Amino acid sequence: MNGSRTGGIHLFVPMLHRRDAVGEHTRTLRDLLGDAGVESRIYVELPDPETVDETRPFQEYEDDAVPGDVLVYQVATSSDMAGWLTGRPEPLVLNYHSITPPSSFASWNNGIARLQTGALQELADLATHTVLGIGVSEFDAAELAAAGCATTLVVPVVNVDLSPPAPDAVRATELAASAAGRGPWWLSVGRLAPNKAHQDTIAALFVARATTSPDAHLTIVGAPTEPSYAAALHRYVADLGLTGAVEFVSRISDAELAARYDAADVLVMLSEHEGFGVPLVEAMIHGLPVVAFDAGAVAEVVGDAGVLLDTKNPRRVAAEVAGLLGDPGRVGSLVAAGRGRPEQLGLREAGSVLVTALLGVADATRTTAMPARPGAPVRP
Amino acid sequence: MTDHTADGPAEDGAAEGALPADEQALLDAFTRLAPQGSLRWIFEDAMRRLSTPTERSTWIEPWDGLPEDLWDRGRGARASERVMGDVINVVAQELTEYTQRIVDDARRTAPEEVAVYDALRYLAARVERLESATDPLGIRPGELDLPVADHTEWAASVPSWAGVGTGDTVVVGELDDRSVIDALVRAGVTVDAVDPRAAVVWSVRSVDGPGPVDGWGPVAVGDVVDHLRGVAPSSCAAVVLSGSVDRASLAGKVELVDGALRVLVPGGTVVVLARDQAAWDAEIAPPVRDLLPGRPLHPRTWALVLARRGLADTEVHIADRGTVHAVVARRPR
Repeated sequence: MNGSRTGGIHLFVPMLHRRDAVGEHTRTLRDLLGDAGVESRIYVELPDPETVDETRPFQEYEDDAVPGDVLVYQVATSSDMAGWLTGRPEPLVLNYHSITPPSSFASWNNGIARLQTGALQELADLATHTVLGIGVSEFDAAELAAAGCATTLVVPVVNVDLSPPAPDAVRATELAASAAGRGPWWLSVGRLAPNKAHQDTIAALFVARATTSPDAHLTIVGAPTEPSYAAALHRYVADLGLTGAVEFVSRISDAELAARYDAADVLVMLSEHEGFGVPLVEAMIHGLPVVAFDAGAVAEVVGDAGVLLDTKNPRRVAAEVAGLLGDPGRVGSLVAAGRGRPEQLGLREAGSVLVTALLGVADATRTTAMPARPGAPVRP
Repeated sequence: MTDHTADGPAEDGAAEGALPADEQALLDAFTRLAPQGSLRWIFEDAMRRLSTPTERSTWIEPWDGLPEDLWDRGRGARASERVMGDVINVVAQELTEYTQRIVDDARRTAPEEVAVYDALRYLAARVERLESATDPLGIRPGELDLPVADHTEWAASVPSWAGVGTGDTVVVGELDDRSVIDALVRAGVTVDAVDPRAAVVWSVRSVDGPGPVDGWGPVAVGDVVDHLRGVAPSSCAAVVLSGSVDRASLAGKVELVDGALRVLVPGGTVVVLARDQAAWDAEIAPPVRDLLPGRPLHPRTWALVLARRGLADTEVHIADRGTVHAVVARRPR
């Protein structure tokens, strides 16, 4: 690393959450930059009590700024930071994690829909002020380009643990006992948010139980981030008479999540919009076959290591899951392909690729006159 | 290997690319649970606009892709199925418009206006109390173990009571032992069936596909009241009500009758198949019986209710060998 570097590479995120894809990615990136000898701080718009010791209010950056700094904005939702960042003179990099379409939320929470509408407007403004847009998938990079980013790069998320924690032994034993004598165990992992479309998985489970797999059951692991949607999911389960067949789980440890991946028979993910889809990779690492709807970045993440559906027709989903689980040879092939998928996706070297890309921006900035990006005001 | 699946041929007469009717009905049952358009949704939205500084400082227009039936969907999902019925819907409409005006004024003039904020908070709290009072436990029909009613005593009579035959459409809610639907199908009638219990609906489906069972048409999953609301006015020769008419509160029962009356052609028939009260008490587990919003009416009470809602020529058929009574009435011509 360049020991003479004076500026840092600082990360901006609206809020820094633990156990959240964007939050963990940001924390990991900060640590990787630190390991590379680059000063890196995390600035937020709103503090999360759990991470407040790791962050600073973004307004304080004004006093911290030094020549040679590069600012990296983690884009996933709307924030007052966005407008502020477009006015900064430092080179700006967008690390894009996909903005969920407003239409997904409108029926449930118009406030979120408005925020996402605002986020899309902000993205368009930011895109013209950025020196580099980094998407965590080709899908995201294409969205960046469409928003107006002249230069884009794909680097997957950096926080996927390729050596996941050992499963919680006690929990694993309990889960094995509860699975005994029951039918296929479906697993779905993702926040209880409308774009995750858990209702489609529930409907497919209902049809599976009504047709081919009367004892099939489902566990949905995910925090109820949109309460009205979460409540509707519970009500839907009750309406369908699935109260004993669908289990909702949230706020579990990594070790328990590992136990659940190990206990399940199949990951079913029918999300409407995925910028990457970390649970897909986690399932593959755990040797769990994947059945997923082809939306957003799902196809490029799953590749040839899972069943990709181009329909969410409940009868078809149920049949695909039943057909897969009834064919051990096919399951074995998919699981084997899945175990190699993280390497193919470049997840192991994603961190170093991302750090190298950001250092490249910093070096380019240092060797050229400021401002390094169009439209930015020149600092006095 | 990449396992891409493809849609098979369209089933059940569905257009290519469209879901078969029964699967679409299953998914629609979830869509109706979205709170969009409900009083709670609007209040919460208004509260957010007033109380969230970021939304106040940077006003963003509401997402404009709202469906045209927004209000009806919210009403169906939240209020009308509950005890308050039409009254709260009228009040809700008024309050909604009032709230929107307050929010618009507050945004233009004084975003920090405490009185406006407090007024909204008060109204929101009232709505919350109303909703929790009308359905404190939120128990759904699918959660309850409801015995299937035996309609065989009257099934063969229903087509003749209704005077229906080939070319006529009859709405049937709910399925129960299916004998009434089978009798109507045998008479050549087009049956439009609905039941809120998806498991009951899908129990009549074949394993391999959604095609008609024994000549049945599609069966919708949903509340009977909501289903009737989607049927064209004056389009049905008859409506057969069972199951939900026993479980519903009195206001819910009236809403069902009114819904039936709306879709009947002049001279059309309503058939209420009501469980015997003593049999109901004996057959249904106490927790289920206690938690349901209502219980069956006596046939004579049904006759009174139907008459009060504008139906005529009421006939009461008391059960001879079964536990279900039949009450038949007609929409005046």
